[in-house]
Amino acid sequence: MQLNVTPTIMQNKPKNMNDKIVKIVLLSFTLLSSSFIFIVAGTILLKGITPFITQNLGLGKVSLISFLTGDTWLIGEAFQSNLYSVGFIIVSTLMIALLSLLVSFPIGVLTALFIAKVALKRLANILRTVIELLASIPSIIYGLFGAGIILNLVYNLSAAFGYQSKGGNSMLASVLVIAIMTIPTITSISEVAIRSVDKKLEEGSLALGASKTQTHFKVVLFAAKSGIFTSAILGVGRALGEATAVSLVAGGRRSGYSFDLLDTTSTLTTIMLEGMKETTGLDYDIRFSVGIVLIVVIILTNLILNWIKRKVGNVDVK
Amino acid sequence: MNENTVFDVKDLNLYYGEKQALKNIEIPIYKNQITALIGPSGCGKSTFLRTLNRMNDLIDECHLDGQINYYDQNIYHQNMDVISLRTHVGMVFQKPNPFPMSIFDNIAYGPRCQGIKDKQVLKEIVEESLKQAALYEEVKDRLKESALSLSGGQQQRLCIARTIAMKPDVILMDEPTSALDPVATLKIEDLVVELKKNYTIIIVTHNMQQAARIADKTAFFLMGELIEYGDNSTLFSTPQFKKTEDYITGRFG
Amino acid sequence: MLMLNKRKTYDITMQTLTYLSSLVSIVVLLAIVFFVFQKGYKLLSWDLMTHNYQSVTYIADLKDDQSSGVFISPKTFDEDTFYSIKWGIALKDDENLIGGTSVFVTYIHPDSPLNALNNKGVGVEDIYVKEDYQIIRIAFDGSSSALAIHGAKHMIEVLDTQNSFRELEFSTTGGGIRGSIITTLYLIVLTLVFALPIGVGAAIYLTEYAKNNRFTRFLRQMIETLTGIPSIIYGLMGLAVFVHLTIRLTDATGANIISGALTLTVILLPVIIRTTEESLKVVPDDYRFASLALGASQTQTTFKVVLPNATAGILTATLLAIGRIIGESAALVFAIGTAVKDDIRLTEKSTSLAVHIWSMMTDEPANIELSSTIALIILAIVLVLNISIKLLSKRMLRKQGVKR
Repeated sequence: MQLNVTPTIMQNKPKNMNDKIVKIVLLSFTLLSSSFIFIVAGTILLKGITPFITQNLGLGKVSLISFLTGDTWLIGEAFQSNLYSVGFIIVSTLMIALLSLLVSFPIGVLTALFIAKVALKRLANILRTVIELLASIPSIIYGLFGAGIILNLVYNLSAAFGYQSKGGNSMLASVLVIAIMTIPTITSISEVAIRSVDKKLEEGSLALGASKTQTHFKVVLFAAKSGIFTSAILGVGRALGEATAVSLVAGGRRSGYSFDLLDTTSTLTTIMLEGMKETTGLDYDIRFSVGIVLIVVIILTNLILNWIKRKVGNVDVK
Repeated sequence: MNENTVFDVKDLNLYYGEKQALKNIEIPIYKNQITALIGPSGCGKSTFLRTLNRMNDLIDECHLDGQINYYDQNIYHQNMDVISLRTHVGMVFQKPNPFPMSIFDNIAYGPRCQGIKDKQVLKEIVEESLKQAALYEEVKDRLKESALSLSGGQQQRLCIARTIAMKPDVILMDEPTSALDPVATLKIEDLVVELKKNYTIIIVTHNMQQAARIADKTAFFLMGELIEYGDNSTLFSTPQFKKTEDYITGRFG
Repeated sequence: MLMLNKRKTYDITMQTLTYLSSLVSIVVLLAIVFFVFQKGYKLLSWDLMTHNYQSVTYIADLKDDQSSGVFISPKTFDEDTFYSIKWGIALKDDENLIGGTSVFVTYIHPDSPLNALNNKGVGVEDIYVKEDYQIIRIAFDGSSSALAIHGAKHMIEVLDTQNSFRELEFSTTGGGIRGSIITTLYLIVLTLVFALPIGVGAAIYLTEYAKNNRFTRFLRQMIETLTGIPSIIYGLMGLAVFVHLTIRLTDATGANIISGALTLTVILLPVIIRTTEESLKVVPDDYRFASLALGASQTQTTFKVVLPNATAGILTATLLAIGRIIGESAALVFAIGTAVKDDIRLTEKSTSLAVHIWSMMTDEPANIELSSTIALIILAIVLVLNISIKLLSKRMLRKQGVKR
C-alpha cells in the first residue's frame, strides 16, 4: 500500500483463510437447509412403512391393501389391534377438498376480477387489504370461528329443512371452513394473473362492440386462465393439508364410507391429530403411514391438476 | 523491460466461454503516464482494463491465457494474492458508485478493511485523499453526511478519493466521465492530469477528444485486437494503420 | 332487440355475481372479527395474561404479628356481597363448575392481615388472599369451621365473631394464560435464534458465493420444495426427529419447547431464505465491484457493504416468521405437546397460544370464551405485525428510488 514499492507475490495471507472459512460455514448452512426435505421425507417414509413390514410388537403386520381400502379406522381396541384403514378417509378428504374448491373458486375468482377490473381504486385497495388480512389469520382461528358460528349455521339450516346433524359437525361444515380459508389464496393469485392480461385484448373486444362485462368474462378471464388455474392448484394444496381448523368442525368419524354432506367426517389430517394427547406403539406409528398417504395424495393431485392445466393451456396459440 | 514499465502484457487471449474477446494483446504501460484506451463499443477495451486488476475473475465464464506482468510479477500466477494486487491497482467505474454511507466512511472503507483503526490516522487519510481528488474544499464541513447527497461529478471525485485512499500505484478508470455533464467532465479531466504526477493512469474512453486532450499514449482497440499503440503526438496526427485513421476521422464508431 | 336484452340479462347477472362474491370476503372478515371480539373481550384483562391456568389451593395461617382489627372500607357493597370489618374482606356467592356453591373474594382491604399469610404447606412461604380467589374453608380453635357450602353470608358472620383463625384454605384463580404466553415467547426467541443465522447464512451463500450451476439450482429447488408441505407433516417429522434428539441430549422426557423450536425452524427456513435472498439481490452490483476493487475480501464485502443494505429485508423476514410462529398450530401439537402448564421449562411439554386454543376446543366441554380471548390477542398481534411489514416494504421501495 505504499508508493513506488513493488508488491511481492503474497502467498495465502491469513485474510484468504478467513474467506475460505466463512464460505465453508455458509455452505454448510445451505446444505443443511437443503437437506431438510430429505429428512422430512425420510422420517415419514421410514416410520410410516414400519406398520406394514414389522410385527408391531406382537400385533401383527398391517395389510397395505386393507389399509388403503378399508372403511374403519380402527377395528377393535386401541393398542390392541392392527386393523387400521384409511380408505374411507381418503375419499372424504378428496371430497372435502374438491367441494370446498367448488365454493371458493368462483367466489375467489370473481372477487379477484372485481378488485382488478371493476372496483374503483379506493374500494379495490380496501378489498385487497381485507384479503391480505384474511390470508394472515392463523388457521386455528378459522377453526374457532367454524366451531362457534358455522356449526350453528349448519345445525339450524339442516334442522330447518328437516335433516339430522350432529350439532353441526359435518362434511358441510368442513367444506365451508376450508372454503373461506382458501378464498384469499385464490383471490390474490388470480388477481395478479388478471391484472397482467394485455390491455390490448380488452380494447380489441370492446372495439368489436362487446360490453365490459362480456369482455371481462369472455376475454380477460380466459386469457388469465393459466394463473387462475394455478391459484386453484395452490388452493387445493392448502385444503388437503389443513388440519387443526377442520378438526374442530369435522366430527371425527371413525368408520364407514359416506357421501352424506351432513354426516360427520374425518380427513387424513384430522385423523392424525385425533388422540394425539396420548399415544404409543402402533397407534403412534400409523400416523406416519397416514402422513405418507397424505403426501402421495397431494403429489398425485398436483400432478393431475398440472396435467389438466397444460392440456387446457394448449388451446392457446401462445 | 525497464523500470519504467508498470505493466507488461504478453500474448493475452481472453474468452467468454467459447467467444474470444481479446486476441494476442501485447502492450507495455509506462509509469506516471496517462494511457488512454479507445475504440468502438464492444471492442474489448473495458475487458482489457479489467484484466489488469483481475476484476474479470468475478465473471464465471471468463478465462484467459497469456501473461500480464506487474513489475515483472505475473499477476495471474497461482500464488498471487488478488486482494493485495487490488490495493496496488485501483479502479474507478463508469457510473459513480459510492457506498450508501457517509463521505468519511466511504473513503475510510478501504483502509479499514486493511486493518487501520486509528481514528487520527483515518482522518488524515480521508483529508489527504479528498484534497488530492480536488473535493476537500467542497465537502470538508459535511464529511458525516451521506455520500448519496453529492452531485454526480462530486460522487465520481469521491470514488477517485476513495481509490486514492488506498495509496495505489496504478489507477484504472473505466469511462469515468461518460455519465457526467460537460462541466463535471472537465473537472475530472483536470484532476486526472494532476494525478499522473503520483500515479500511473490507464483510462478507457469512448470519447476520442478526451483521449487526445489528456493522454500521453493511446491504444486503439478494434474487435478484440490492439490495432495501434503510440504517443498521442503521432497517433492522432499520423496514425500508422488505416483502421486507426478511419476511426479517428470518424468513418466508423 | 332480442340480442340486446339477452346480453343485458347476462351482463346484469354476471355483475351481480361479481359484486356478491366480493361481498363474501368482507362479510367473512367482519364476522370473524366480531365473533372473536364478542365472545372474547369479556375475559380480556391484564390478570388473565398473568395468571396461571391451573388454580392452586393453599392452606394458610396468620403470621405472628398479624391479627384482626378494624378495617373500614370506603367502598359500598351491593346486597349479595358481605363484608367483614374485622378482617377487611368481602365475600360473595357463586356457582362452581359442578353446580355447588363457592365463595369468592370481591374485595380485600389494603391493610387487611389477609394480605400477608403464612403458607402452612410446602413451597412459597408468603402467600396472600386476593380478589377473585375462592375461600374454601376457615378453621378456628374452639369453634366449628366456616365452609364454603354454607355460603358467603355465613362465613362473614362467623369471621366477625373470631379474633383469630387456625387455618384458611383458599384457591387461586385459574384460567390465566400466562403459561401459554411465556411458551409462545420462548418459542419465538428460540426459533429465531436457530432459524435466522441458518436462513440468512444460506441466503448469503446462495446469492454471494455460489456459482450459478446445476448444483446450486438443485440446492435452491430442494429448499423451495419445503414450502409445499403441509405443516402437520412437519409436526410428524418433529416428533420423530427432534423430540428423540432432545430426549437423548437433554433431560426431556417427551415433546418440549426446544423440539418445537427446532420444528418451527425447519418450517420457517424457506421463507427466511427467500425473503433474505430477495433483499440481497436488490443491492446493486456496483457496490460489490467498488468494494472488491478497493482490495476488500469477499467476506468484508458481504458483511460490510451488502448485508447492511439488506437489513430491511431481513427484518421483514423476521416479522413474517414471528407471525407464522404465533399462528402455527398443527405442527406444534406434535412437536410441543398440548399440556397447558404454568411452570414452563424448556425441556418439558407446554402449549403455545394457538395450540392452547386447539386444546381447549377439543376438550369437553369446549371453552369458547377463553379461546376467543386468546384468538383476540393473536389477531391483534398479527395485525400489528402485518402493518409493520407493510411499512417496512414501503420504506424499502422508497430507498431503492433514491439510489440512482
